[in-house]
Amino acid sequence: MAEPILRVDSVSKIFGGLTAVNDVSFEMQAGEILGLIGPNGAGKTTLFNVVSGYYAPSHGKVFFKGKDVSGKPPYALAALGVGRTFQVVKPFGGLSVLENIIIASFLKHPRRAHAEEAAWGVLEFTGLADRAHIPAASLTLAGRKRLEIGKALALEPSFLLLDEVVAGLNPTETDRTIELILKLKSLGMTILIVEHIMRVIMSISDRLLVLNFGQMIAQGSPAEVAGDPSVIQAYLGEEHE
Amino acid sequence: MTPLLKDRRLIVSALVFLLFLGIPAVVHDTFALRMCTEAFMWIGLAVTLDVMAGYTGYLNFGHQAFFGIGAYATAILMMKAHWPFPLALAAGGALAAVAALIIGIPTLRLRGSYFAIAVWALARAIQQFALIAAWTGGPDGMRLTAFLDPQFFFYVMLGIVGATFFALWFLLERAPFGLKLKAIREDQESAKALGLNPTHLKIQAFILSAIPTALIGGVFAYWVTFIDPGSTLGDLISDQAIVMLVFGGMGTLIGPVIGAVLIFSFKTLFWAYLSQYEVLYIIILGAVIAASVVFMPDGVLGKFMRKGLRRAARPESAPPAAAAGKEA
Repeated sequence: MAEPILRVDSVSKIFGGLTAVNDVSFEMQAGEILGLIGPNGAGKTTLFNVVSGYYAPSHGKVFFKGKDVSGKPPYALAALGVGRTFQVVKPFGGLSVLENIIIASFLKHPRRAHAEEAAWGVLEFTGLADRAHIPAASLTLAGRKRLEIGKALALEPSFLLLDEVVAGLNPTETDRTIELILKLKSLGMTILIVEHIMRVIMSISDRLLVLNFGQMIAQGSPAEVAGDPSVIQAYLGEEHE
Repeated sequence: MTPLLKDRRLIVSALVFLLFLGIPAVVHDTFALRMCTEAFMWIGLAVTLDVMAGYTGYLNFGHQAFFGIGAYATAILMMKAHWPFPLALAAGGALAAVAALIIGIPTLRLRGSYFAIAVWALARAIQQFALIAAWTGGPDGMRLTAFLDPQFFFYVMLGIVGATFFALWFLLERAPFGLKLKAIREDQESAKALGLNPTHLKIQAFILSAIPTALIGGVFAYWVTFIDPGSTLGDLISDQAIVMLVFGGMGTLIGPVIGAVLIFSFKTLFWAYLSQYEVLYIIILGAVIAASVVFMPDGVLGKFMRKGLRRAARPESAPPAAAAGKEA
């Protein structure tokens, strides 16, 4: 097998007395979509923050393209090719949609004019071009989620972390976002995605990873995971006689 | 982005600058020239404050520290080491840059109001130091060799403030640096994910704000020929500059210029006609800042002019379809 693009090696994250992520290990191959699921509070976002550099792991290591990146700050990871979105969307509200994207484009295009050109490409790709000049704060929720993806894409990353980019969207918007994600996959992007909406995660993921109380309880294809008794138990609880 | 020669705000600013340059040709009254020089000084202080407050989102209540460092460095080097004025002035700017680095590394980790309190306290500490140190003259201050040429100071002050304004215009409005700072102002965590190192950028902004402030302080020292800890390191300097900035409009470079001109004109008129009501000036200053925060958070510029400017700036860039293709 080829060198994995991401290798998470027995990572734990402990906050005070709470173990949010407990000894999780997994690998991702270039070009695959890995879905990360689990009940609320399972540690999905914490794991995300460890992988994207927002938290240093308490134990264990994260390797990106074979390089140890544990505890490297987010901006260093961005430079290596990691793009991420935030579950609670974080647009630069006072700036225009275009400016939001340009800021991300500076990473690969340090000159303003080049960055602006690249940003227009991202706006076209994400379908935000018609709203380029409005303040980001006045976008709808769907627009802001799209902008989150756009900002991450403007970094021209090889690895994308998507944190609940579908939650809260209506069915039409959901379908458009799925379409966008599949388009990215077809372009060779490796994607780690957290999502609560099973319809979405089941349909787009190549593999699933299930967390519960910080521990990985299952891993495999969507069909395997859906039939796994420990997963059913984590979501639905134990059966009583 | 708007092409350089079609940037209306820049063109207006350049014309105003040229207009200012021509003042001494028409106005020969020493008092009037002095007032103009002081107005330029306040424009410079409000604009440099804006780099941190408006663009980066850090209100600096200790801005006077850089002004004072520039003033004292210039005075000490000229009087004790007999350096020529330009050299002493430049040394003051360099010293302020070092001070900004040292003050910035710990304080710029703090957010908003905590930063404001920390830099205010540090600036007070610097003022206290100037009061007790022997080589600053302590509370008695320092006297510089008088060089009484109002035109010279008019041009030097205008030159430094003008150069600062246009350099900041280039860095903040046209180069990527300004947008990066705004990203930090809007959301620091999100900025990190986009490859920006907030600590580096904030320290760069702090230094960028400190150097011209110190140069202005140095010119002030040579110009007024007498400095003491109150006149160059007192918090009234920052307070007034903040009022001008907030009143004019933060986050733009034209806002603080307008604010400085309006507030300084008011101050001058007030002192000319109502100087017996000294206390009233401070009260009015406080009322103006409170009112402008409540009623026009974007300042005079935001309230009355930005709409028009925005409309003018709007048709700047249509999606360059051809360019996007070239990129791919």
